[in-house]
Amino acid sequence: MRWIYFVLIVVVVAAANLIAQDVYLKIPADPPTKNPLEGDADAITAGMGAYRVRCADCHGMDARGIRGPDITQVWARGRTDAALFRSIRNGVPNTEMPAHPAPRTSDLDIWRILAYVKTISPATGTAPGSGNAASGEHVFATTCIACHRIGDRGGNLGPDLSRIGAARARAAMARQIRGTMGSFKTGYEPVTLTTPNGQEIRGVKKNEDLFSVQVMDTRERIQGYLREDMRSVSDEKKSAMPVFGPDTLSDAELDDLLSYLESLQGTTAAPSGAR
Amino acid sequence: MFRPTSARVAIAVFGAAACMATLAAQQSVPPPLVTAQDLLSGLPSDGSRWLMFGGGYTNQRHSPLTQITPENVNRLVPQWVFQTDTAGRFETTPLLRDNVLYVTGPLNVAWAIDARTGRQIWQYKRELPPTGSLTACCGLVNRGFGVLGDRLFMTTLDAHLLSLNMKTGAVVWDTTLEDYSKGYASTIAPLVVKDKVIVGVAGGEYGIRGFIDAYDAKTGDRAWRFYTIPGPGEPGNDTWTGDSWQRGGAGVWVTGAYDPELNLLYYGIGNPGPDYHSESRTGDNLYSDSLVALDADTGRPRWHYQFTPHDLHDWDATEVPILADLTIAGQPRKVVMFANRNGFFYTLDRTNGKLIVGKPYVVTTWAKEIGTDGRPVILPGYVPDEKGSLTCPDPTGATNFWPASYDPAQHLFFVNAREVCATFYAWKQEYVPGERYTGGAGQRTNSPDNRAWGALRAIDPTTGERKWEFPYISPSTSGVLTTASGLAFTGDAEGNFLAIDSHTGKLLWHFQMGSALHGTSPITYMLDGRQQILVPSGTTLTAWGLSDIARVPSTR
Repeated sequence: MRWIYFVLIVVVVAAANLIAQDVYLKIPADPPTKNPLEGDADAITAGMGAYRVRCADCHGMDARGIRGPDITQVWARGRTDAALFRSIRNGVPNTEMPAHPAPRTSDLDIWRILAYVKTISPATGTAPGSGNAASGEHVFATTCIACHRIGDRGGNLGPDLSRIGAARARAAMARQIRGTMGSFKTGYEPVTLTTPNGQEIRGVKKNEDLFSVQVMDTRERIQGYLREDMRSVSDEKKSAMPVFGPDTLSDAELDDLLSYLESLQGTTAAPSGAR
Repeated sequence: MFRPTSARVAIAVFGAAACMATLAAQQSVPPPLVTAQDLLSGLPSDGSRWLMFGGGYTNQRHSPLTQITPENVNRLVPQWVFQTDTAGRFETTPLLRDNVLYVTGPLNVAWAIDARTGRQIWQYKRELPPTGSLTACCGLVNRGFGVLGDRLFMTTLDAHLLSLNMKTGAVVWDTTLEDYSKGYASTIAPLVVKDKVIVGVAGGEYGIRGFIDAYDAKTGDRAWRFYTIPGPGEPGNDTWTGDSWQRGGAGVWVTGAYDPELNLLYYGIGNPGPDYHSESRTGDNLYSDSLVALDADTGRPRWHYQFTPHDLHDWDATEVPILADLTIAGQPRKVVMFANRNGFFYTLDRTNGKLIVGKPYVVTTWAKEIGTDGRPVILPGYVPDEKGSLTCPDPTGATNFWPASYDPAQHLFFVNAREVCATFYAWKQEYVPGERYTGGAGQRTNSPDNRAWGALRAIDPTTGERKWEFPYISPSTSGVLTTASGLAFTGDAEGNFLAIDSHTGKLLWHFQMGSALHGTSPITYMLDGRQQILVPSGTTLTAWGLSDIARVPSTR
C-alpha cells in the first residue's frame, strides 16, 4: 500500500506548485533592456511630474545636478536603459541615491521617469571643463583639506569628497564653493552652543531631539550635550563652509580645482565604513 | 474559508474536559469569555482590560486610572521589554484581558504575551504572498486585534479577515475580503459590535473600490457590505464622472466608533483616486473623505458628512472619530469630533451629521472657512497641475491615522498636529489593475524658510479653539493616551516617549525609546495592583510602572 502514499505526495506537491505559481505570477521578470515607454507622450508627461517630485530635489529641475549628479549626460556616457533602471530600483550603495522598491515604485513609474529624462538629455555629452586637475589638487591641499577628506587624507568637519566627481555636477560644485547655494547637507548644519559661563562651542550638527544635540565641534570632537545644560543652542543661518569669492580663489584656480574634484570618482577611495 | 467540524470540536472539548476535570476542580476559575456587554462598558475603573482599538466604542483613549499622576510620573521605570523578530514596526493597539496581552505586528505576525513578564505565550505568523506583490501603500503593518468570546479577529495584508483562538493562536476561520492582486489590502483593527466583526479595505492609491464589511463572528460569513463609492442607480453615484467610480479608491483603514443607543457606526473614508488629478473624476466623489454613519445591523447609510468634496490633495478622512456628549450653547449635544487631514477640526451632531464647529487647527491655505452649509469655501489657486502648486497642509496632512484622545472631564481633544506644506503636482495616468494609481504627487517643503514642524495641541471641541500646545522640532506621528489623573502620554518623531500635563501642556517626564511611537499610542491597565503603561515603538513593546508601589498579586 506504500504506493498510495507516494501518489498522494505527488498529487499534493503538484497542487502546491499550482498554487505557488499563481502567487508568483506577480513577481516581475528582469526589466527589458530598452525603455518600453521611450517617446510615449503620456508616459513623458507622467514622468515629468514624478521626476519633479521624487528626483528634482537632488538632481535639479533641469536634471543637471544639485546635490546629485547631472543625469542628462548618462546616455551620452554609454549607460543603458536597463542599467539606469537598476540604479533607480536598487539605489547606488554607499551614496545618497536610495533604492525605490516595489510596490511604492512600480516598473512603469521608473520607465516613465527615464522616458522624461531622455527628452531633456542631449544626444552627445558636454565638453569637460578646461582646468588643470594637477594644479587643482594643489589648491585643494592648501585650501580645502583642513575640513574635507579624500581617501585617508584630510579633515572630517565637512563632507568626504572621495567620490564627489561622480556625485555632483561641476556647476553645482562651483556654486557651493562661491557660496551661492544656500542649503546644508544633513549632518553638517552649523550650530553654536553657549555654555552657562558664556563659552561658545561651534560645530556641525550630527543629530538632535527635544532634549539634546549631538555635534562635531571645530576641533573634531564628537560629543552630545543636553539642552538643559546649555545657556543656548542656536542654528546658524550660514554654512560652516567659508565663501570663496574671486578675491580668495581666482576663476582660474576655481577651474583647476573643479577639474580635480571632477576626477574624484571614488575608485581609489579608502575604506569608508561609517559615513 | 475553512472551519473545524462541530463534531471535532465536540470531541476535543469533551476530551479536554475529561482530562482536566480533577485538576480544574482544584484551580481558580478563569474569567468568563469576552462578552458584548464587556465591549459596551469600555475601559473599566478597575483597569482589568483593554478590549478594543480606542479603549471603548467612543474611541476616547481616555483611561479612568489614577495611580500614575503628574506628581509621580517621573518615577516610572521599565518592567520589561518585548522585541519582535520581524522586520517593520508596530502601528498596533495591543489588547489586554486576564493579564495577557494580544498584539498584532508587521507582516501579520501576532502574539499572546504574559503581561507580568513580557514572555511570549504563543505566536501566529501568516503565510503571505511575496511582499513585492502586496500593495499596502505605506508599510506592511497592522493596527490591532478585535475580540469577542474566546476569539481574536485580525485583518491581513492580502485582504483576508482571520479569527484566531485566543488560547493558542490557531486559525478558527479565514475569509477573503477581496483579491489582493487588484490592489486590496487590510491593515485596520476590527471593531466588534454585538455578534459582528466590522472591517474595511485599504488601497486608495491602487484604484480599488472601497467598502466596509460586517462578518458573523462565529462563522466568518459576511452579514453586509457597504461600498464607500455608490454603484449605478444608488444616490451619490452621479458625483463621479463616467466609470471613474469603479476605481475611485475611498479605502477604509482606520477603526470607527459606535453609538449603541443610536445603533450607528461612524467610519472615516479614504481619499478618492487617482489622488491628485482633477479631470479623471470631476464631481464631489462621494463618499471619499467623508464620515459615514451606518446602521450597525444592516450597513445602510443613515447620513454622511463630506469634509473635502472632490479632494485633490490625498486628504483621506482616515482619522479616528471620537464620540462625546457635550453642552454647546446651553444645549446637550451628542457629537462626533474629528481632527481632519485637510487642516480643519470638526464637531458634528452625530444624530444627523450636521456641522456644529469647523475650524482650522493648523495653517490651512486651500479653504477660507467651512460655510454654514457645511461645505468648505475653497480658495482659488490650489489645484495641482504639471507645474506644481504650493498648498498647506501637505499630503500626509494636518494629522493622520495616529489616534487622538479626548478627556471628558476637561472637555479637551488632544491631537498631534503637523505644520507642513507641499507642492502638489498632477498628471493624467492610465489605470492598470494592481498598479499605483495616484495621477500626481506631493513634494513636502522643508527649508530653513518653510520648516516642517508639529505640536501636541489641546482643542476645545465646543469652539475649535486651542487651549495649549506642546511644540516638537519635527512633526510627530504618534497617538495620544490620556488618563483621569491629568496625564497625556505621547511621543515625538525622534523617539522620545513623553508624559505631559494634560491641563497645561507642560512636559513632566520623557524617555528615549530608540524609535518613535508611530501611528499608535500607549495603552494603560492595572496589573497586580500596579498601573502599567504599555508603549509600542519600533520593534519593541515596553511596559512601564511605578516600582515603589507594592505588588498585590492577583490570586483569583
